[in-house]
Amino acid sequence: MLFQLEKVTKTYGRITALKDLSVAAPKGAIGLLGPNGAGKTTLIRTLLGLINIDRGGGTVLGRDIRVKPLDIRQRVGYVPENECLFPGVTGVDFVRFAGELCGMDFDDAMQRSHEVLDYVGVGEFRYRKVESYSTGMKQRVKIASALVHDPTLLILDEPTNGMDPAGRDEILALAHDLAHNKGMSLIFSSHLLPDVEHVCDHVVVMNRGQVIQQGRIAELKRVHRQRYQVRLKEPPEEFIAKVKEAGCIVDFRDDLLEVQMNDGQDESLLWRIASDLSVQIRHLRPQRSTLEDVFLSAVAEVR
Amino acid sequence: MPVFEQGYKHWDGDLSGHAWRWWTIARQGVRIAMQGWLLRILTIMALLPALVLVCVFVLWGFLEQQAEWALPIARMFFPSEVVADPAAYRIIVWTLAFHFFFKFELFVSMILVLLVGPGLISQDLRFNAVTLYLSRPLYRWDYFLGKLGVIGWFLALVAILPAVVAYLLGVLFSFKLSVVADTWHLLLGCVGYGLVIVLSAGTLMLALSSLSRSSRYVASFWVGIWLVSSMVAGVMTGIHGEQAGRAAMKAAVLDARQQPGNPMPAHIEQWRRRQAAEMEAYLDDWRPMIAYTGNLERVGRALLGVDAVVDRLADEVVGRRGSPEGRVMTRVIFSGPRFPWEWSALILLALFGASLWLLTTRVRTLDRLS
Repeated sequence: MLFQLEKVTKTYGRITALKDLSVAAPKGAIGLLGPNGAGKTTLIRTLLGLINIDRGGGTVLGRDIRVKPLDIRQRVGYVPENECLFPGVTGVDFVRFAGELCGMDFDDAMQRSHEVLDYVGVGEFRYRKVESYSTGMKQRVKIASALVHDPTLLILDEPTNGMDPAGRDEILALAHDLAHNKGMSLIFSSHLLPDVEHVCDHVVVMNRGQVIQQGRIAELKRVHRQRYQVRLKEPPEEFIAKVKEAGCIVDFRDDLLEVQMNDGQDESLLWRIASDLSVQIRHLRPQRSTLEDVFLSAVAEVR
Repeated sequence: MPVFEQGYKHWDGDLSGHAWRWWTIARQGVRIAMQGWLLRILTIMALLPALVLVCVFVLWGFLEQQAEWALPIARMFFPSEVVADPAAYRIIVWTLAFHFFFKFELFVSMILVLLVGPGLISQDLRFNAVTLYLSRPLYRWDYFLGKLGVIGWFLALVAILPAVVAYLLGVLFSFKLSVVADTWHLLLGCVGYGLVIVLSAGTLMLALSSLSRSSRYVASFWVGIWLVSSMVAGVMTGIHGEQAGRAAMKAAVLDARQQPGNPMPAHIEQWRRRQAAEMEAYLDDWRPMIAYTGNLERVGRALLGVDAVVDRLADEVVGRRGSPEGRVMTRVIFSGPRFPWEWSALILLALFGASLWLLTTRVRTLDRLS
């Protein structure tokens, strides 16, 4: 297991940030989803041993969060959400210093700093003061500083915030590469569902301090056997009317029909109607839940 | 080109333990601070008094051996009885040499702290760097200790280290091991006084630095505490001395009227008594405690044993010449106000406690809502 928490409760005064939260996540790329105030950041800080929880306990990478917080942080790289920098240093010194703070000696940290800066694509900017960097560059340097000591687990908190589309794609590609090709476990906290879907295999959905849905993304995005997406070559009005006559519910958005069929009906009905009307079906497939559907329905259930 | 095409390599080197992690922070802080040319120049200039201190000890060592070349030079600075029997006055000269060295270095230390300290925490708060520190395998105390280490490094470089080196050279050039038996407490006093300056000025500056995200404001706070408190103490001490002098002068005028046969001209007697009263008032005054550096200096004098040595100097050297004003003046010039040093120690301790409280309040853990 990557981490395992058991009945964790954390309150800040009258606000309950985590409420009897129990969750277990396997190694790999874990997406952490939830609306603002869901408790994602508190969960991350709990995993890093940065906060004192009121009740419960758990382990990260097999180490107790209450007993060995430093040991956990030694093996974890954390990229915070907000803009944060060590002031007055160049990019290469920033990452080198981060390595030294984790216990690397100067020479190792310097050599490793150049390696990870190459990896995240900072290039010759590494010799400039970090205060002068763009948002994207700052984000890359933060990621490099989290990678410098080669952590077992990398935690990225909203890593694509404020980035331009090209930079965002590169960060997502980098996160995907680390998780799927380099054997590094990843916790990817974001409110951008496509980002999580692109990077992660497993998702934990949170709301109001509780885990409301979790599992492998592929399993959560289940196939609906009686719900189909259809696209026609010709105008669909006549086709829609016939399908409705057969007792199906049809939703027409853009040029795509979403057909909800009844028990005992299957896609052969659609083929037959198309044949009768001599219209050409260009696209037909069972509908899948998107991650957005999963997220919205989970959040709606709690409300 | 996707950024990951550069490739990611795993690293399997050894990580050091946690005990010296604070030193990493201190070293980084020193490295950044040394980028400033003003600080580099001041640090080098601050070492010049150490050269003077070393010269004094070397000269003294040769004087104790009655080296011919040293005698004429020594006669320029010391009375004849001291030159004739230097070993008897060794502890006085060594103590005063350290006393004046630290007096100068205390002033330099305040400037160094002003140059090094303001940005130590304020810049971290401004750039949210505290999150980066605390999310690594560090405790909050490692962070504080590392930041204190930056100030400590500079103050140790200009005050503690030169004092220790000068002491060792003094022992070396005296060619007598008995010197160590006489003076070992000075070595402890120097190191102790240096640590008091580092801990007190360091924590106070860090606390001030945690109050604002602007280094300029922090520097202003520091100048206020250092210079303004010194000025207030100076003005109040001056007023107190002036009042005592006027009262003594008034009494002298009354005495002159009642004793018309006094052979000394009235205005000289009045002036003499006024001077004496002002000096006595200065020695008994508690007002220098208002100055932050006044308290540091008072504790330093106690640690180096300056007052006892100055009393000996006043009684044994100046006193032989028979002038009571001379003795008082010796105490005024070579020592200072004699209010209890424990009061100053308590004030510094209270400031230290308040600084730690402020630090822990302002630089909080991440155990809070963002």
